[in-house]
Amino acid sequence: MSQLLDIDHIRVSYGEKNIISDINFSVEGGEFCALLGLNGSGKTTLLRAVCGLLKEEKGRITVAGKCLSPMNEYQRAKLLSYIPQRSSDMNGVTVLDVVLMGLNPHLRLLETPSQKQREQAVRLLDRAGLSGYENHDFDKISGGQKQLAIFARALLQDAPVMLMDEPDSALDFVNRNIVLSRIKNAVHEKKKAGLITLHEPNFALAYCDRLLLMKSGTIVGDIKLKDASNEEIKQGLSLIYGNVDLLEHKGKRLIVAC
Amino acid sequence: MGFHMNSKENKKMKIAFILIAISIFVSFVISICVGKYPITLHDIKDLMLGNSINEMSRKVFFALRLPRVIMTLIAGFGLGLAGSVYQTIFRNPLASPDIIGVASGANLGAAVAIICLGNQINLVAGSAFIGGLMAVYAVTLLVHVTQNNSTATYVLAGIVISSLSQSIIMVLKFFADPESELAAIEFWSMGSFGSVTDTKLQVVLPIILLGIIVVILFRRQISLLALNEDESRMLGVRVTLIRIIVLSFTTLVVACIVSVTGLIAFIGLIAPHIGKLILQRQNFATCIFSAFVGSLIMILADCLARTLYSTELPISILTTFLGVPFLIYFMNHKKEERI
Repeated sequence: MSQLLDIDHIRVSYGEKNIISDINFSVEGGEFCALLGLNGSGKTTLLRAVCGLLKEEKGRITVAGKCLSPMNEYQRAKLLSYIPQRSSDMNGVTVLDVVLMGLNPHLRLLETPSQKQREQAVRLLDRAGLSGYENHDFDKISGGQKQLAIFARALLQDAPVMLMDEPDSALDFVNRNIVLSRIKNAVHEKKKAGLITLHEPNFALAYCDRLLLMKSGTIVGDIKLKDASNEEIKQGLSLIYGNVDLLEHKGKRLIVAC
Repeated sequence: MGFHMNSKENKKMKIAFILIAISIFVSFVISICVGKYPITLHDIKDLMLGNSINEMSRKVFFALRLPRVIMTLIAGFGLGLAGSVYQTIFRNPLASPDIIGVASGANLGAAVAIICLGNQINLVAGSAFIGGLMAVYAVTLLVHVTQNNSTATYVLAGIVISSLSQSIIMVLKFFADPESELAAIEFWSMGSFGSVTDTKLQVVLPIILLGIIVVILFRRQISLLALNEDESRMLGVRVTLIRIIVLSFTTLVVACIVSVTGLIAFIGLIAPHIGKLILQRQNFATCIFSAFVGSLIMILADCLARTLYSTELPISILTTFLGVPFLIYFMNHKKEERI
């Protein structure tokens, strides 16, 4: 299996407090990997460092063998796509135009999207479950639909690594499941390396292939869910969440505090 | 249903653009006609058809009136466009061409020329132009020095440089000869199209058009800059570089305009808001529409400046008096639509 995203012993500090040190892991194509941790554990700092929004002090980050740190934003956006917690306000921009923004790294500076690219964007919207929404005002669709549109934008950007910063956090229960399952399917089908920060461990158990557990700026556990026993998962998660129990229901695992 | 609503909105937008184009055309023609030496519609028709007309009318038309009205059109367009682009890329509804210091820098340049270089009209224009560019350069330098490249830093640095220019202007005013120099500084800072001639227009028009064209070519990047900074970076926008390019060309436009006309109050701030309130959205089409709104207000203001009183009134008085009712009307209008 190819290691698409490789994080090689990086150290990053962000303010006085959020320091991550000696983080070392790789994500392969088709692997959907969750970063779990409490507030202040450093998971967001780590994600921002992978994004290139924070500079690493030590170590290096590579995508498909290419080192990210000397690259500018334009070059980096060909390798990494990003889904934020909440997208910016875009009043009066159509859903289609939001999706087309994903083409920026594939267009020259003053080039505009071609008709063919527009058609491709509409197809991706259909596949994301937003058929017929292309001419709607982005600010007037629901929170769940917005995240699906941003997800379609990331698919159009078509970078080998997909980064997501709690993309589900502003959504209701139903929409969370919809958004996360669509992301999971895309990561698997298109053999992307998916790295997502999540607050809610049960969603990570339900949709991800692997859990990276973060505490005090380091990775304290790395669990591949397919091979791990319930006991291993329980022990790993209790490092972060304290005393928890793992239940199994119809083949699905979930944890509860106890 | 949503699709239907949208095509209705598109239609509304088309109608808004057509209406403003007609209004600009009508006020353009009126503006050509009125003034100390009136030109009749008949004269204009004859000129268009190539018939000979009275030599005086011909001279007034080509050397003064036409350059002046073209300049008001372009000045309103440029200031409205620049204000709207600034409000978009700084994500700040209070952003106007002055927020990055260009207007106060130009004012300082003009004041220096009036006092030190003997109030020659071309030197004042040149000095104002350089002052405007230098102020923006100082702002970007300040942002660079603080190493905090956020939009708020630009706004703050703009305020710092503006205040600094203002206090230097105060020093100059304090030592200025109250009869001639002080009056000239004050008059310059209220703006006027009275000194626009065909030769001046030929110098500044190509530069202004260049700036406007570059801004229009960068429209996709400007829309991307309107996103949160992290989001636009992750979409591959080289935020710092693009911001500097857009800033440089809009500054060129604004500095060229004010170097010829003096300061023009309020248009750069108010035209984008009127545009936004009419179209009910904020994208690049709104920037262009706001530029047209700027043109319209400016032409009307200049018409009134020439006709209200026996001598010509400063343009800033009228842009403000015209702009405020427009804005209040559309603010109320928007409220009703929401209910």
